[in-house]
Amino acid sequence: MSAETLKGHLDGMLLASLEDGPRHGYAIMEMLRVGSSGQFNLPTGTVYPALRRLERAGLVRGTWSEVGGRRRRVYELTPGGHRVLETERGAWQTFSAAVTALLSPAAKPVSP
Amino acid sequence: MTAGSQLIDAYLGDVAAALPGPARARTDIVAELRSGLLDAVEAYHSAGLPPAPAAEAAIREFGDASRIAAGFHPELAAHQARRLASALVATGPLIGLLWATAALASHIGIRPALPWQWAGAPPASMVAFPVAAAALLITVWTALFTLAATGRPARWLPIGPRMAATTAAMAGFGAMVADAAVFVLLASQLFSAPSRLAPAPIAVAAAASLTRLTLARRGARRCLSARATLA
Repeated sequence: MSAETLKGHLDGMLLASLEDGPRHGYAIMEMLRVGSSGQFNLPTGTVYPALRRLERAGLVRGTWSEVGGRRRRVYELTPGGHRVLETERGAWQTFSAAVTALLSPAAKPVSP
Repeated sequence: MTAGSQLIDAYLGDVAAALPGPARARTDIVAELRSGLLDAVEAYHSAGLPPAPAAEAAIREFGDASRIAAGFHPELAAHQARRLASALVATGPLIGLLWATAALASHIGIRPALPWQWAGAPPASMVAFPVAAAALLITVWTALFTLAATGRPARWLPIGPRMAATTAAMAGFGAMVADAAVFVLLASQLFSAPSRLAPAPIAVAAAASLTRLTLARRGARRCLSARATLA
């Protein structure tokens, strides 16, 4: 799937990837790749700047720390990030339920 | 790992060369990319590739250096804009206070009336004060707007880094005009009644204004060039 298609949902997916706990940039990309069964292979040039943008907006906090013997910039959700994630999740569920209902062949309304 | 790390150094050098903006922000970005690249190299290495091909594969995965750098341009522009705006907001009241002190020490009768009606006001007051006031008003509003557009309120504002760089540059130019207007006032006082001036407070205020003028000019130019990368 192209990065352009995903753009509107990138923030929500990045926030979701941090829901279980702090992660560094490469681990976030891995998580998106594995979590989407390889569907979403987001380019590095998209993910890292997006994390910086979310940090500036106060949704994630990035700190340098020693992980696995190397210094890494680790991101974690802020309380504001948790709230935005919940909002995005709710909006997506409403939207996807509506699209599923309309696209599924069985659910087509009978025209008079 | 030498051949591999040379490849990575060269690649990150290319990325760094294509990043505009504050040095510290650039160093931080390159350090983060390096740590990500090393993660990728490790992943390819443990999948069976020897060090040098693993580094090549990791670099291929990250993609073209100039494209990676371009992805950071909006963030760096926002960073640059925010830096200038916060510097102006932080130093503005201090410089105002220094000039008020200098005016009082120079026996200029500051009172609640139009500045050119103050006792001993410089001859250029009628022109320079309104210019300074207008410039300061623009500076304050554009600087606060920039801070909002590049901080947390950005989530609710439909304003991107390009606009923020523009408003920050406007704030910088506004501060320059205000400082220049104050220097016009000072010059007119020097020509008309130099004996009234208190040298020490004037020198301190003038040094502060001159420093801000220089830094505001540099900051505004940097914001405009950061803005140009977002065309």
